[in-house]
Amino acid sequence: MTMMEPRKHGDASDGTVGGRQSRFEGSMKVTGTATYALEYPFENLAYAVLIQSTIPAGRVLKVDIADALAIPGVLLVLTPEDDLGLTLGADWGGNKPAEGPYYPLPRDVQFNGQSIAAVVAESREQATEAARLVRVTYEESKYVANLNDPNAGEGKLMDALSSAWGDAEAALAASPVRIEAEYSTPREYHVAMEPHGLTAKWDGEQLTIWEPSQWSHGMARMYSEWFDMPYENVRIISPFIGGGFGSKGQPLAYGAVAVAAARKLGRPVKLAVTRPQNFTSYGGRAGTKQKIALGATEDGILQAIVHRGASETSVYADWPEQTGAATSILYKVENFSSQHRIVPVNSVTPGALRGPGKNPSAYGIECAIEELAYKLGMDPLELRLKNYADHDYQSGKPWSTRQLREALTKGAETFGWSRRSHAPRSMRDGKTLIGWGIGCGTFPVIRAPSEAMIRILSSGKVEVISGAIDMGQGTYTILAQSAAEVFGIPVDQVEVHLGDSRLPGSAIAGGSMLAGSIMGAVHKAAVAARDELIGLALSDANSPFRDTGANTLNFVEGRIAAPRGEAPSLTLAELMFALKREEIEVRRNTLPEGASAQEQVQAWTTMARVQGPTMGDYSMHSWCAHFAEVRVDEDFGTVRVSRMVSAFDCGRLYNPRLVESQWRGGIIMGIGQALLEEGLVDMRNGRTVNNNVGDYLVPTNSDIPDLQVISVGVPDHNASALGGKGVGEVGIVGVAPAIANAVFHATGKRIRDLPITLEKLL
Amino acid sequence: MRDFSYIRAASASQAGSAAQQSGAMFLAGGTTLLDLAKCGVSEPETVIDITHLSGMSGITVDTAGARIGALARMSEVADHGDIQAAFPAVSQSLSLAASAQLRNMATIGGNLLQRTRCSYFRDPGAFPACNKRNPGSGCAAIGGITRNHAVLGASEACIASYPGDLAVALVAFDAVVELDGRKVAVDDFFLAPSNTPDRETVLQRGEMITAITIPASAAAVNSTYIKVRDRQSYEFAAASAAVGLELEADGKTVRDIRVALGGVATKPWRARSVEQALIGKALDADTVEKASRLAMEGAVSHGGNHYKIELAPRVVTRAILKMGGLA
Amino acid sequence: MTRSIHIALDINGQRHELDVEPRVTLLDALREHLTLTGTKKGCDQGQCGACTCHVDGRRVLSCLTLAAQVEGRQITTIEGLAGEAGDLHPMQAAFIEHDAFQCGYCTPGQIMSAVACIREGHAGSDAEIREYMSGNLCRCGAYNSIVAAVRQAAAEAA
Repeated sequence: MTMMEPRKHGDASDGTVGGRQSRFEGSMKVTGTATYALEYPFENLAYAVLIQSTIPAGRVLKVDIADALAIPGVLLVLTPEDDLGLTLGADWGGNKPAEGPYYPLPRDVQFNGQSIAAVVAESREQATEAARLVRVTYEESKYVANLNDPNAGEGKLMDALSSAWGDAEAALAASPVRIEAEYSTPREYHVAMEPHGLTAKWDGEQLTIWEPSQWSHGMARMYSEWFDMPYENVRIISPFIGGGFGSKGQPLAYGAVAVAAARKLGRPVKLAVTRPQNFTSYGGRAGTKQKIALGATEDGILQAIVHRGASETSVYADWPEQTGAATSILYKVENFSSQHRIVPVNSVTPGALRGPGKNPSAYGIECAIEELAYKLGMDPLELRLKNYADHDYQSGKPWSTRQLREALTKGAETFGWSRRSHAPRSMRDGKTLIGWGIGCGTFPVIRAPSEAMIRILSSGKVEVISGAIDMGQGTYTILAQSAAEVFGIPVDQVEVHLGDSRLPGSAIAGGSMLAGSIMGAVHKAAVAARDELIGLALSDANSPFRDTGANTLNFVEGRIAAPRGEAPSLTLAELMFALKREEIEVRRNTLPEGASAQEQVQAWTTMARVQGPTMGDYSMHSWCAHFAEVRVDEDFGTVRVSRMVSAFDCGRLYNPRLVESQWRGGIIMGIGQALLEEGLVDMRNGRTVNNNVGDYLVPTNSDIPDLQVISVGVPDHNASALGGKGVGEVGIVGVAPAIANAVFHATGKRIRDLPITLEKLL
Repeated sequence: MRDFSYIRAASASQAGSAAQQSGAMFLAGGTTLLDLAKCGVSEPETVIDITHLSGMSGITVDTAGARIGALARMSEVADHGDIQAAFPAVSQSLSLAASAQLRNMATIGGNLLQRTRCSYFRDPGAFPACNKRNPGSGCAAIGGITRNHAVLGASEACIASYPGDLAVALVAFDAVVELDGRKVAVDDFFLAPSNTPDRETVLQRGEMITAITIPASAAAVNSTYIKVRDRQSYEFAAASAAVGLELEADGKTVRDIRVALGGVATKPWRARSVEQALIGKALDADTVEKASRLAMEGAVSHGGNHYKIELAPRVVTRAILKMGGLA
Repeated sequence: MTRSIHIALDINGQRHELDVEPRVTLLDALREHLTLTGTKKGCDQGQCGACTCHVDGRRVLSCLTLAAQVEGRQITTIEGLAGEAGDLHPMQAAFIEHDAFQCGYCTPGQIMSAVACIREGHAGSDAEIREYMSGNLCRCGAYNSIVAAVRQAAAEAA
């Protein structure tokens, strides 16, 4: 891989942890030299194209491939008839739900858009043309199109997600002021700009896969189980991915198909999932609905919260989009009851989309709390502050840090909230109604172990080596900053190698857990490497420091010297040369001492070691408060976000420049969720009819005003070794309710089902 | 896409005769043809690249009006100072369409001929029933998700809306489409589906649009194009209106008014009933609102497009009041 | 029967000869036939802008352009933007300075679009930049930074 050359901007402190170092791999990305999964050149490459079902449920009776095979260049057509010889594997927790063979192209059709066949040819164009000529005969059976299908049923209660304390029903009934409302969110999609796909190549028993991955080690493990081969024989290479947002953390059926095709043909196979096929090849955010009842005193003290929610899941796997996830921890309340059900429908199993659970959950509670404010005639800011949770009432644990009060007050001050006129429809500019709303967000601190390797080279460079992933959140950069700080060198003296399952293990780039995890491992390894170098420098016969009497050395501004500052002072390269060392290599992990080799592999390849926010003495979360201004055209019903201020408590920021970009990215997704995004399903056949980015609308540049983001966090060393809390997902949580609340303030119309499209306001 | 042959036409007559073969299609900007070929809707056997033909991309404006070559790019016409001055609605209809990249690629002739964005039309694999693609096979849109479908000019055979913007502005100002050998008024050039939705225009096999002309008028000089859509840009219209207005010397009585609708009909929709209700009248908000609703006479909704019946007259009203200095 | 044709493409000032089927798009010619993978495929349907490059200096979508169509025209891709010695184009430098990208996948298209946007004279204000850059989707949400980068580069170019 070519070397990255970080550009110098700002001042020297940018290159240390907490500095605004510009993106380490930036020059590669702006010159088109960052290579993504489908961009590696191969000899003898074959191209695979998927064929997906057009019925929502039933069986594939017959697949007629004769016409497809006749197309020039076609090498292979895979159908449910083909036994690809795969075995069911464990899920990402490392749990194996069943034994037996795995059919990535199954005979049973469980949703419209399910992959059921694939064509492999010499070119993508030939494979695509042939795919159109494959004729599938189905036997159709009954189906449930989506959550609103009359045949959807009540689904099943997820007991593990039920939460209750006090006596919520009684307290609600006794409350002088009550509101009850039902909120819903539609199916939403990740729409990472890089569509899914992979290139697979066998070399004897070795399998190499170039695939965009949020978790190189986990995906390698899952492929190895499917193909019943040793984990060490699978290698996932993913130094750059074009967005993930939760969609690229596990291998999917099409991956198995490409690998199997490569094995059958003895050639490397590239499979590109088309943009429309992306909409059904993996799950987006499930559609949800939730009923919330709030009870309060006349002066706005919450007495009870009763929450009942449901989300779609597939008919073949359970995946909850937990609508009660944020409801229980945002406010102080002594009586609480929350339940969540999952309703099987004929769709692909929903997945994790930025802020899973917390996002729709906050939509419900943050709209409800503001509806309560209006009913009480209270300022929504005041109501929130009045019910501030001094600790986590659900777990009973104290917060590790919670700067939500600061986020609300600082955000309000910056936004100018005190200038608000309370009544709906009281602010306008000609034909434009103006409204302001608040939405709070939260995302748990999830912790996991990682390992990392540091190499000090005789050239004076320091290498950081990890299988961890940078999907745009800035892993390359913060790890370079961490190593640079430990060794007192400029960032351009550091090299960072990521994104390869052969490299040291790491947590997934997901759940906002990676930065805290990998920073801890890299810091530990870097300090250990530095200490080893110091040890050598103080004891080695060839070392210029041997006789100084110092018992440690300082690494400052690229030079190494004894603490009292007297001679000698050497650069890293000069010291390595004096010690006659080519390299010093140190590997450390953040597992408990004495973890066996097997436990280590398990830690990197499953979620077994992942710890939730309350698995310790504290309840640990990131928090935010969004303040939104919307402008609504009184006649057309179109809503535009004209101003937004968001204040965040994410603990210590490792790189504020990159963090601000993450925050803004989450906010923009939230704006899309509030106003534009909706997966549309034709009830007659379960087809996702807007399976493209012209009909499934994500925000364009002109939809987004300047987004002002503020940090109110303080270092939280319970949350992570270096004091940071997760930043990647909290930004999307709370945006949609802030906008919905602003729309109500502008128009007097309360729209509870997202997205808030113009016809709902006409 | 199915495989096809590529011919680069050196002359209009070569293009015309090559186009007589079955399965031959003209390729200009490619933004419609290649898109639909990828969807499996169009399956040309030969594409005839006409973008190198000379003499078809000029833009001239004089006191009689404008003449725009069919191969002029959308962006060239949109940014043309004389078009902006004499036909602002035309310029705006172009600037508000698509994206900058697409406007650099797409030609005026091709833009007129763009096809519906109906999700059912565009997904032959999942929805074989489409009278526009396959006459007699039925209409999958009716009974489906129809938020973007037409409320005007539809039939039981087809409710697909015409998505373009430019043609809406052209029909408001009585533009004429020049083919090689005949001229057709824009309003007559486009056909409502009736029971032949596969016939969208009067073009015969092998015929090529060579130019469009727009007669000058005072109403055209005082014109605008308003496009309402879910997101701020890069999206087709939920409803749009091209309006031109000429007032009498008193500054409030209507001498000439042109109104056309987009995003709500099966073809670019001239709203003459609105015009007739306002000619000779004094402009005020109430009068305009009442007249604008006449545009929806005969509107029929299907499923989720009912909002267009409410929205479209409001867009017309806004445009008229804006041109009348009352907005 | 596939009918390959022989075409010569002028890309970034270099002549490339290739044999492709007429149906091959410029985007696929670049990525699959010429290993010029800087131009990205985001949707292949003209709806995202990731495949933006220049043809005769104008920004276009390469996924809706046939390779055969642009024979004889000058094509510029992201790989052709930096100087001979590898020095970054001012737009590329501005993108880094303002952190106008995250995952980087839409970035080449954004940059090619932005360079042309200034050349077209459509970068006169933040509002104009936003509108005229709306043909390039960014799901990571780098929009604010993209506007800042284009504003800076426009000022430098003025």
